[in-house]
Amino acid sequence: MIRFPLRIVLLASLLAAWAGGVFAQQLLDWSPEEIGAVGQHGPWPPPPVRDPSNRVSGTPAGIALGEHLFNDPRLSGDGRMNCATCHQAGREWSDGLARAKGAVELDRRTPSLWNIGYLHWFGWDGAGDSLWAQSIRPLLDPREMNGGAARPAGLLRGDPTLACGYEKAFGEKPGPDEERLLVDTAKALAAFQATLVSPRTPFDDFRDALVAGDRERAGRYPLAAQRGLKLFIGEANCNLCHLGPRFTSGEFGDIGIPFFVRPGEVDPGRLGGLARLAASPFNLLGRYNDDVTGNSTRRTRHVQRQHTNFGEFRVPGLRQVGRGGPYMHNGSVLTLEDVVKHYSEVSPDRLHSDGTPLVRPLGLTTDQSADLVAFLRSLDAEPPPRAAPPPLCP
Amino acid sequence: MRLPAALLGLFLATPVLADCPLDLGRGTGWVVFSDHYLMAFRPDPLRIEVGEPFALVLNVCTRSGAPAELIAVDAQMPEHRHLMNYRASIRSNGDGRFRAEGMLFHMPGRWEVTFDVRAGEESERLTHDIILK
Repeated sequence: MIRFPLRIVLLASLLAAWAGGVFAQQLLDWSPEEIGAVGQHGPWPPPPVRDPSNRVSGTPAGIALGEHLFNDPRLSGDGRMNCATCHQAGREWSDGLARAKGAVELDRRTPSLWNIGYLHWFGWDGAGDSLWAQSIRPLLDPREMNGGAARPAGLLRGDPTLACGYEKAFGEKPGPDEERLLVDTAKALAAFQATLVSPRTPFDDFRDALVAGDRERAGRYPLAAQRGLKLFIGEANCNLCHLGPRFTSGEFGDIGIPFFVRPGEVDPGRLGGLARLAASPFNLLGRYNDDVTGNSTRRTRHVQRQHTNFGEFRVPGLRQVGRGGPYMHNGSVLTLEDVVKHYSEVSPDRLHSDGTPLVRPLGLTTDQSADLVAFLRSLDAEPPPRAAPPPLCP
Repeated sequence: MRLPAALLGLFLATPVLADCPLDLGRGTGWVVFSDHYLMAFRPDPLRIEVGEPFALVLNVCTRSGAPAELIAVDAQMPEHRHLMNYRASIRSNGDGRFRAEGMLFHMPGRWEVTFDVRAGEESERLTHDIILK
């Protein structure tokens, strides 16, 4: 008979050996090419960026003013909506609805604001070439906040606290030019939104460990997520479009979602977005761009409108994707599992590609689908609690 | 992505090409040639990143020594049969030197860059593949 302390020692040894074995088994074989591909999805977070077209981008006073304006319902026509009505911090800066609801229900889903400061095209159709230009649209759109062009100017001039915050951010008192104050309001809103960077995730820990050659730490990443990641960067080729640390190219694609928004009416996506971009007085080629170098205008100057843009929508980043949803530009896919099913079963007839299609039915098994979902959910993390915005002026 | 200096040296050592300035500085670049044309180019910035705009700095020459013109630069992914989402603009800096601004590869993979060049009435399309990882 084994005495009690000896049994404990033996049990502990067995557990230690088992745990060691588990760690050893929990790291799949990763080729140098795969490690390179995984490494491209980090590091996270990236350094903050400043938008040269926005003179208050990255400035504490601009960010503070933007956060106050973001939560101010007086910017809407009926005084009941603010930016946070649709972009809710507790819902991953979206609203959890299939279709956004402003003054009326819209045809597209509210996109999340996570990591939006790193983008170059804004809105599902890329009609905005800067975050501040994009922020003007919901303020004016009668279907959304319906605020009107003069409302921000009245607010900035009439509210002493906001006027003080404006002066701190822009270095002058709110002037008489209403359109200028509308743009500056949007620039402050953009400065705030650009600070919304999603937290580090289990994937980031795995990625860093794998790149560093730390097998033990990398082995803590669940096997299902590892298998899903291998699919993501391998057979499924998801990383052709969902690339880089943000898991998006920031460009546009047609992934086989139906064009029709209602009988007889289509959403042209990027094709319509480019037309609106060209017509906008607030695009980067206009007089409100603060960048004197002209470098910020390169995309806008050279982007070309092609017939293939019809039905294309912006490739969304995938960080925090499992905490969001519904999915796709029109909220037509309810769950992450359904998203994977879409890519597994998408109709090649609908996509009519001339060459090797970028999107094709993957024909995933049940296990593969579950692995892909496990990987996608490893891009989620609980954001830290947000502090209240700092006071604008004493 | 880098062309060894030796390759440039080989071209520069060939008498018929000696007048064509294939050295674009910084010791890197590609050389593309046909029966009539030769051309050296390099990206600016030197490292092309997926999704980031870049320019091409180019020298275009003819083997006969006649002046050559760069008419257009474009790129496509032959495998997927799609072009760039952007159209490059070309600026001539004189003496066969050009700058194509506004290029952007939005996906990793093989991009075929096409150069339409012309000397007098004769035009030709030169191509070069760039693999982006």
